[in-house]
Amino acid sequence: MSWVSRLVNTFRASRVDRDLDEELRFHVEERARDLMRRGLDRDTATAQAIRELGAPLRHREDSRDIRLMPWLESISQDIRYGSRALRKSPGFTAVSAITLALGVGANTAIFSVVNAVMLRPLPYVEADRLVRVWESNHRFDRPRSSVSIPNFLDWRAQVRAFESLAAVSNAGGSFAATFSEGAELVRGATVTAEFLPVLGVTPALGRNFLADEDRFGGDVRVTILTEGFWKRRFASDPSILGRRIPLNGRNYLVVGVLPGSFSWGSGIDLLVPLAPDPSSSRGDHRLTVIGRLRDGVTIDQAQTELAGIAATLAVQYPASNEDWSVQTASFYNWLVPEAARDSLVILLGAVGLVLLIACANVANLLLARAAARQKELSMKVALGAARWRIIQQVLTESFLLSLVACAAGIAGGAAAMRLLVTYGPANVPRLNEASFDLTVTLFALTVSVTTAFVFGIVPAIQVSRTGPAATLQDATRGAISGTGRQRLRATLTVVEVALSVALLIGAGLLLRSFWSLQQVDAGFSVTPLMTMRVALPSVTYPNARVRGAFYERLLTEIGTLPGVVSAAASSSVPLAGGNTVTEVQLPGEKGRADRQPSADWRVISPAYFATMSIPLRGRDFSLQDRENSVYTTIISETMARQYWPNQDPIGQTVILSSLGNRERTIIGVAGDVRHFGLDTEPRPMVYYSTVEVGGLASSVVWRSAVDPASHVAAVRDIVHRLDPTVPLYDIQSLTDLLSVSPAPRRFNMYLLAVFAGVALLLAAIGLFGVTAYIVSQRTREIGVRLALGADRHAIFRLILGRGVALAVTGAVIGVAAAFWLARGMQSVLFSVSAADPGTFVAVPALLVLVALVACYVPARRAMRVDPVTALRAE
Amino acid sequence: MQGALPLLALKILARRGPLHGYSITAQIEAMSDNVLRVEQGSLYPALHRMEEAGWVKARWVVTEYNRRARMYELTALGRKQLEAEQARWHAVTNAVGHVLKHA
Repeated sequence: MSWVSRLVNTFRASRVDRDLDEELRFHVEERARDLMRRGLDRDTATAQAIRELGAPLRHREDSRDIRLMPWLESISQDIRYGSRALRKSPGFTAVSAITLALGVGANTAIFSVVNAVMLRPLPYVEADRLVRVWESNHRFDRPRSSVSIPNFLDWRAQVRAFESLAAVSNAGGSFAATFSEGAELVRGATVTAEFLPVLGVTPALGRNFLADEDRFGGDVRVTILTEGFWKRRFASDPSILGRRIPLNGRNYLVVGVLPGSFSWGSGIDLLVPLAPDPSSSRGDHRLTVIGRLRDGVTIDQAQTELAGIAATLAVQYPASNEDWSVQTASFYNWLVPEAARDSLVILLGAVGLVLLIACANVANLLLARAAARQKELSMKVALGAARWRIIQQVLTESFLLSLVACAAGIAGGAAAMRLLVTYGPANVPRLNEASFDLTVTLFALTVSVTTAFVFGIVPAIQVSRTGPAATLQDATRGAISGTGRQRLRATLTVVEVALSVALLIGAGLLLRSFWSLQQVDAGFSVTPLMTMRVALPSVTYPNARVRGAFYERLLTEIGTLPGVVSAAASSSVPLAGGNTVTEVQLPGEKGRADRQPSADWRVISPAYFATMSIPLRGRDFSLQDRENSVYTTIISETMARQYWPNQDPIGQTVILSSLGNRERTIIGVAGDVRHFGLDTEPRPMVYYSTVEVGGLASSVVWRSAVDPASHVAAVRDIVHRLDPTVPLYDIQSLTDLLSVSPAPRRFNMYLLAVFAGVALLLAAIGLFGVTAYIVSQRTREIGVRLALGADRHAIFRLILGRGVALAVTGAVIGVAAAFWLARGMQSVLFSVSAADPGTFVAVPALLVLVALVACYVPARRAMRVDPVTALRAE
Repeated sequence: MQGALPLLALKILARRGPLHGYSITAQIEAMSDNVLRVEQGSLYPALHRMEEAGWVKARWVVTEYNRRARMYELTALGRKQLEAEQARWHAVTNAVGHVLKHA
């Protein structure tokens, strides 16, 4: 043989071997037939025929193994052989590839989110040194409260653990910027000069704020623009430094532009100095405080030091600081809150289970297929193929399958990831950063390869166990090894059912939580309500009277629009975010331990309660209060219960620190409103009147008999007519706001429900497959039974019972597993126990029902077996 | 036997037309009154080598038992080779016989 044909032959090895295998198999059969003619029985004849042929063939296999790169060759041969085998059974290939692709795709999509949210580093220089600091008051259950200005200043002056400590004000974030084209609302952050150094950001153009510009009373107006705002508003004008921008009617000098990498909150346009006022109230908590730890200092050391400083302050200023300490958290723990991590870990666990179920299902299919290929593979064993070669060949096929699934899974996963990003809840931080990067791709590949091994190894070992003796025993139909395989398939099915039950119970618990949440009364009626916000520039609206007058005219005009039932203003509508807190004191009584000495406050216009459909007893604020010199307030039911239990608070007085620290008379009690989401218990709340305090209101709501959104254009016109320099923003319906509140739960629930549905489907397919297999294996037996007069319905019950027994076993194991797993879910559940009896009964019942349906078809087929056909087939 | 196997196979194929491997073995054994036993495992490599040399050509057919079998058939080149081999065999056996007789 020339070297050319030798080379060609190396590459054609698989074809040659295949042909050779078939030729030899024919030879063995012919030889066995001859030997049988001479009186040998089939088994002995076959064995002898193989023995006569055997030795030199084993030699053939061995001799090829010492060729150049034998392993690579055998792999490439297996790949070609495997892909042909897969092409030859498109049904099997499609079903298993789709099953695996579902598993891989779901895992890849969820992992891409986990990667973006939990694994990728935060966008800050040495982010592990960044710390968020709160004031905390455990006695009044306020572990994470904003910081008051004087406390921040004292911390900043004394603390040694931090390189620097910075503060951002929670109030006054928006400015009305007046450009020649009209008014625009600009989102700003009011920060101390240390803010950028703490974050490790250097301006791309210009400079940071100077310490002098951040000093109280300095009255210097400077600003630093974000790159986005500079681009959008000033077309990246390089000569922007030194320009002046009118904000709230005053000119601010641009001293710097931030780099594009700057990241803080969302949609910040510019920074202005905070210039903290040391004389402000220690009880007025309004700062977000962040710090950068000194190199080598731990967050625990910082916590201890700050708590020490706070303890001293509490002694120094008992009136405001008693019971107040400090709480710290790393930026990671602050920005990626535990709740978000919890639900991601749960989702990742759920898709992991789906993948396991998919593996079990494909392993099941492979086992069924192995039965069909038994002769082909054991022929190879008979012809001298080493056992590992058989395992390698079957595994190669599994890997090919998993690669197809991986490709499909990555494509599907990328699409699913985009859906997650689009429809994911806003409370999952960094969700919009999810992308298909190298990590995600590697993850998908690893998952696929591992998967191939998991679902491929069991069938591979099973098949390779086949001895040469079974090779050509046509009539045996693998009766012996078939039993083992049947048991294996039954076990896999039980595992599948158990995993699906666990997943379904998880989904069921979330469903129940969500349902309970839907039953929660928000405290107001959302439809049909519309809200928007206006920002009054402080220069043209310097005091309460002019601001109040603007709102009065605005509300009157909106109220006259055809279809509008009523209109009102508030400093903040429920569910829109933001909060303001006041200290509470009863006349002649110091704060008591049994209640919170603080309450949230809102400023509202008359008719606010009517517009929002919030129940009110006592009387509402009215425009006539102007003539009244008595200071009034309306309190919430929770407030009433806490401060005046078993008493009517109307007519009582209370001292509220915010808005003038005055003694106020309670004129009404309003229903509790869930301001912070449906799953947050209402807190004590006090209301002030716009008539008294003027324009602290910035939100306008109107209820209308027709679609309230149809009035948006008209309301815009009214605002523009009243004052074209007033910007208008955040126009939305309260229905939308309400649907945003439970969005994270809904999102988790939908995803888990989808996963559980897929799991249920896969389990049903598995049950169907295994039952159908049992029927096909026992067709002859069933035929005999029927021939002997067995009752067809007994056969039906026998087969159905077999399938249902598997399902029940799986369900019991699944319930036990779910009982254990669900304990980890308690934090994402709402008013449902992790051991909710309803769910734990309904889910297994549902599964057994599905099992009945899945096993019905094969069982019927068993019942209708024709004894004559079944026996003749032998 | 080893060296004679290609010759015998070619001869059988020339006489009995297209045959599959097992028939070739069976024929050789039968015609030699079971004196010559074909090392079955080496027949197929030999057949494949002859196929590659172009002495025989093979094709798949379906047998009466509905099985696929590979049938071998002599080519023109194979016929020439057979004559050459036969001549060489005779020459060798004559030479061997001569030595045995006269040594």
